[in-house]
Amino acid sequence: MLTAIPTRRTFLQAGAALLASTALPTLARAQAASAGGRLIVAADSEPKNLNPAIVASNGVFFVASKVIEPLAEASFEGKDGLSPRLATAWEGSEDGLSVTFKLRAGVTWHDGKPFTSADVAFSALSVWKPLQNLGRIVFANLETVETPDAATAVFRFSKPTPLQLIRNALPVVSSVIPKHLYEGTDIAANPANVQLVGTGPFRFAEYKPGEYYRLTRNDAYWGKPQPNLDEIVFRVLPDRAGAGAALEAEEIQLAAFSAVPLTDLDRISRVPGIKVITKGYEALTYQLVVEINHRRKELADLKVRQAIAHAIDRKFVVDTIFLGYAAASTGPVPKNAPEFYDADVPTYDFDVAKANALLDEAGYAKDADGKRFSLKLRPAPYFNETRQFGDYLRQALAAVGIDAEIVNADSAAHQKAVYTDHDFDLAVAPPVFRGDPAISTTILVQSGIPAGVGFSNQGGYANAELDAVIAKAAETIDTARRTELYRQFQKLVAADLPLINVAEWGFITVARDSVLNVASNPRWAVSNWADTALQG
Amino acid sequence: MRTMRRLLATPEGAVGLALLACLALVALFAPVLSPGDPLRIAGRALTTPFSDPAFPLGTDRLGRDVLAGLIHGARTSLAVGLAAAAAALAMGLCVGLAAGFAGGLLDEALMRMVDAFQIVPGFLLALAFVSVVGPSVPVVVLAIALGAWADPARLTRAQVLSVRERDYVAAARVAGMHPVEIAVREILPNVLPPVLALSAIIVAAAILTEAALSFLGLGDPNVVTWGSMIAEGRNVLRSSPWLSIFPGIALVLTVVGVYLLGEGLTRALSGRRAAA
Repeated sequence: MLTAIPTRRTFLQAGAALLASTALPTLARAQAASAGGRLIVAADSEPKNLNPAIVASNGVFFVASKVIEPLAEASFEGKDGLSPRLATAWEGSEDGLSVTFKLRAGVTWHDGKPFTSADVAFSALSVWKPLQNLGRIVFANLETVETPDAATAVFRFSKPTPLQLIRNALPVVSSVIPKHLYEGTDIAANPANVQLVGTGPFRFAEYKPGEYYRLTRNDAYWGKPQPNLDEIVFRVLPDRAGAGAALEAEEIQLAAFSAVPLTDLDRISRVPGIKVITKGYEALTYQLVVEINHRRKELADLKVRQAIAHAIDRKFVVDTIFLGYAAASTGPVPKNAPEFYDADVPTYDFDVAKANALLDEAGYAKDADGKRFSLKLRPAPYFNETRQFGDYLRQALAAVGIDAEIVNADSAAHQKAVYTDHDFDLAVAPPVFRGDPAISTTILVQSGIPAGVGFSNQGGYANAELDAVIAKAAETIDTARRTELYRQFQKLVAADLPLINVAEWGFITVARDSVLNVASNPRWAVSNWADTALQG
Repeated sequence: MRTMRRLLATPEGAVGLALLACLALVALFAPVLSPGDPLRIAGRALTTPFSDPAFPLGTDRLGRDVLAGLIHGARTSLAVGLAAAAAALAMGLCVGLAAGFAGGLLDEALMRMVDAFQIVPGFLLALAFVSVVGPSVPVVVLAIALGAWADPARLTRAQVLSVRERDYVAAARVAGMHPVEIAVREILPNVLPPVLALSAIIVAAAILTEAALSFLGLGDPNVVTWGSMIAEGRNVLRSSPWLSIFPGIALVLTVVGVYLLGEGLTRALSGRRAAA
């Protein structure tokens, strides 16, 4: 276990730290002074559009989730894994054609206007369904939202839509924005997309590009006496190597999303006053996946794909690349989605001899140099770990006689090459599992997706049986039957290998000991932080 | 041969030549010294240096042999450095010769082009070029040459301007030699020495630029380079500094070697001119 050894900070150390933190001296002093206090957090990106109702991504949620709230948030102990936020109760109809939300009373927007069901209806119909990256899929069949009174919203669908899907998607897709600021404007260009106005525990105070985002306490929060903090400052620290040093110097008090590199965790966990927390990302599981271009005749052969799966040492990947902060994958649904996860799928042990035998069987014998064929490998540049796995995969493939040439590119060029131009044979991708396979997982293997749709099946894979299961699950209302269909889905993917799931990982939070209630829910880093507090 | 003897007589030249000769030998015999792919995962990750005889300089984050990386990295660094410098010199010589010898409008046009390239920082140019075309060894060579050819072009032109009015050039002209023949046979050999002295600086700069490009992840990912080794080591700088230190030392030695050789060469050549 990696836990910091708690030692009492001596007066001298604290004094030295204060002197050392020249960058934000006043901020550091404020922490010691008040019980509410100011939390300073490392941020590594500055999204152009900060509106979580339009851009449902972790980079946006990290800042925006404190200001704009969803209907419900993920929870460790709540019913169905949810705790109520702007909705207090939800119920689906028997036929799956409607879902009724009871909304929280007495909630006001940060500009003083009351929050009503009209805001929910507007957000759903004008933003989530037409504009949001994930809402497009979840609310594809949403027809109208009826508002019989100010505290009730009834979602009506043209086709049966499983309540299980809506429920699982709520924390991610249901950020409610104020109708009175957006109605009749160009929603995508509205100034409120940066100067956020929401109902959350914190108000958006200011944004200095390249420097920080500052949020201040919302005194009129419906969850009074929360929030506990007076202020949250997201300091932009684009250099990942800098976050650890900033924590040690007490310039920041918290770095989420593995801003401190994995290789630095062992050392920093031993620094007095700093704790390393691996919880709080259970609903934000990233998956390490090898995407396969089935247009290549070699890769269209199942035996070759099985050989590649056998050539990858998942233990090495977990232990050496992720330093143990990951788990080996068995299929397209991660283990920490127990509602859906099925361990009973075909698995591929690390076995070089078997991989070689399979490749021989497939008819690709080694030539004089010990090579069978060459492939173009594109590792996604988003994480250190995806790049390192690319280096590892090249070596693992060389061991079975496949010559892989790595092609590096920046994010934009990589996405264009893989998802639009199909200029790859193998690619390393880190898709996210978002609580339900229908949100962003089935799209990775489903056929018939037009070129240009990012993070989807662009490898030309088509399997009628798998497509049928995915289509059936999308309209199955009964939770048990729907879950069963997704178990079948996992078996089919693991058996036919449209892509190869290698590992799954969550992120790491590193915080000063003075930050309390960290990781209190499975989406903690992107939740509202109303209960987060600082020790005086 | 006389130049060589003079070069060895200068301490800079001797030391520089020795350093580079060692390096060239290592690069040349890399497949013998460390057989196999240097990027192969050879052992336990992050073995400390001098602890395991199989990996005298330790292993990196994935368990790749650091010594093998250094040996094969010497190949890439020297090859890219020399190729880029050769390309830059060739381009510079051609442009300088043409501009200086032809004069007039062509001279003006070519020199304004040189100005344009000199204004843009060479590294920025290389960075932009590689990120547009995509990283591979030939592209990196071209990208570095693109930022380095302007200086030799300018120097060549200046030399040509002073040489072309000499009597022997006039004699060649009177003898009815073709202008191209005059340029290549009479002028080029006489402008070459100072430009060659400049070449050492270009090689050193090219090696550093290549390392910097690799450090930023814009090198060819399929070959090992010192720059990419330093970049990889940077992520674990606090816990395993040797991963950056060893390739850093190799880079320093190479650049110092090239620079000393250049100094020696300049002194040897100016000595010759003084003696002549």
